[in-house]
Amino acid sequence: MGAQRLVYGLYNDEEILLEAVKSANDKHIEIYDVYTPFPVHGLDPLLGLAESRLHIAGFVYGLLGTLTAFLGMSWIFTKDWPIIFGGKPYWAVPSFIPITFELTVLFASIGMVVTFYIINGLGPGVENNYLDDRITDDKFCIAFDSNDISNSDAESFFRSTGASEVHEKDL
Amino acid sequence: MAHSNDTHAVAIPLVKNFTFTGGMRITLLVGMAIGLLSLGLTYLGDDGTHTRFWSNLLHNSVFFTGIALMAGFFMCASITAWAGWYTTFKRVWESMSLFLIVGLVFMLIIGIGVWQGWNHLYHWADAETVVTDTIINGKAGFLNSGWYIGGTIIFGGLWYLILSRIRGLSIAEEKNGNDGDYNYHQKIRVWAVAYLPIAGFGSAALVWLWIMSVDAHWYSTLFAWYCGASWFVSMISMTLMLLMFLKGRGYFSSVTPEHIHDIGKLIFAFSIFWTYLWFSQYMLIWYANVGEETIYFKHRMDHYPVLFYGNIVINFLLPFFVLMRNSTKRKFGSVGFIAFVVFVGHWLDFFLMIKPGVLHTAHELGGHGGHGGHAESASHGSHGGHEAAGHAVEHVSNFTSGFTLPGFLEIGTFVGFLSLFLFFVLYSLSRASLQSENDPYYYESLQHHT
Repeated sequence: MGAQRLVYGLYNDEEILLEAVKSANDKHIEIYDVYTPFPVHGLDPLLGLAESRLHIAGFVYGLLGTLTAFLGMSWIFTKDWPIIFGGKPYWAVPSFIPITFELTVLFASIGMVVTFYIINGLGPGVENNYLDDRITDDKFCIAFDSNDISNSDAESFFRSTGASEVHEKDL
Repeated sequence: MAHSNDTHAVAIPLVKNFTFTGGMRITLLVGMAIGLLSLGLTYLGDDGTHTRFWSNLLHNSVFFTGIALMAGFFMCASITAWAGWYTTFKRVWESMSLFLIVGLVFMLIIGIGVWQGWNHLYHWADAETVVTDTIINGKAGFLNSGWYIGGTIIFGGLWYLILSRIRGLSIAEEKNGNDGDYNYHQKIRVWAVAYLPIAGFGSAALVWLWIMSVDAHWYSTLFAWYCGASWFVSMISMTLMLLMFLKGRGYFSSVTPEHIHDIGKLIFAFSIFWTYLWFSQYMLIWYANVGEETIYFKHRMDHYPVLFYGNIVINFLLPFFVLMRNSTKRKFGSVGFIAFVVFVGHWLDFFLMIKPGVLHTAHELGGHGGHGGHAESASHGSHGGHEAAGHAVEHVSNFTSGFTLPGFLEIGTFVGFLSLFLFFVLYSLSRASLQSENDPYYYESLQHHT
């Protein structure tokens, strides 16, 4: 990924942003990306984003947790170190269920968080370039690649769709 | 912004009133006739105290009364929580909740039967047992026909009064419109808040009386929760199936895959909640291993294995795996299939809660009168007469239809009650405008987006 020259507009409201995205779609202007401080309802289908596959990873991690807990306890309490608890059989399945459940949740949640961080290049100490501080606060941003659109076209697009500011930056 | 919903709502005109057609009426009346016939045949072919007849009546009355109760409960909880997504089909829950009055009539008939000794549903209703059996004697202050009938009238009556009041206000709101301060909606909110604790605590007491006390020696502190979760899943599945039916007829074009998605989530979530309670109850009893408590599961695992294990498969594993994905909660085919399965599944769950205890009671009362303890080890001499069926089932066969598994007569009775329920709900639906356009949350509901 080399440096990319982006021209972007900042909007004050997500409703204006959605209208602007629709307008860009109508004019067949290719959007580089949209940045918002929070998930905006109805934005994903407008941008043609596919459903996230993170939950599939979550299912796999969960299953791994289930198997780790259940098979682990089964092995420990029947083969490795059999102990009788409360007069129950060695392989006391009902008493394994709560721990199996907990480990399923633990593996799924930690696995999904770690996967999410890795995919997005986030993590403690990682420096990321970003367009503007305020897109994590109160601004909604549409960015175009400068190769796709001339600066004057971008400027007039942002002005006509109600953007409050227009900037340019290398990312 | 709900771009897809907008086009949806424009494409299909919103039908404002539901017509309860002759065809629907006749179908449902035939269903009711099947139910009556099944009940009649059960009564004729039954033992001396009509155990099968009364237990079927109790099972279905409890099941459908609970659905009405839960429809009201969830509607009131949603109103209290300022939820708006369901407003476009609010009338469905209103109509379902009004069935409470019919359910309560059935529960009162059963209550009078308990009082007058027409049935042997409850061990505690036997006067001789109350004297000789120390455990039942200790519970006699609560487990008696006075509490049974009184509780049903007072709690059930309060529920119905509040729910019919909410319905009245909701229709008045639709007719007259809210003025600036949303006066109708404010009144509805007050009644909804009042309903929640009354329904919550009252239903626990009635669950103990109606259902848990069929095993009069046994108790479980989370049984009311367990039962309530079962009712809730049945109610929300019923809601989905009703909406699918009504949408198929051209009504509720305002109900989009977004609403269906949320109902699917509720089926999914409450199926897991039900499983959590099922397991909590099971594991504590299994772990403590106290004979008085384990008998409940011992009995069901030994004599009702198909239902006992099948219960977990159809009420937990199926909805859990099928509804886990986003897309399956949105498609009518998958979510509708699961709604049907868990609806029947929870009907079977109630079968499993009620039948074994009733059968045991009939057996003990029939065979041993006021005999104190459990009669498992007692001799089975020549009792003859009405307890024969009980003996046959408890000690010979695991697969006697109608006792350890629902037979045709049980299914027929179920069809009858279901038809009665649907007849009542569709009739109530036809009595008011389908859309509650003056509800302050109406437009939020149309725009709903998950």
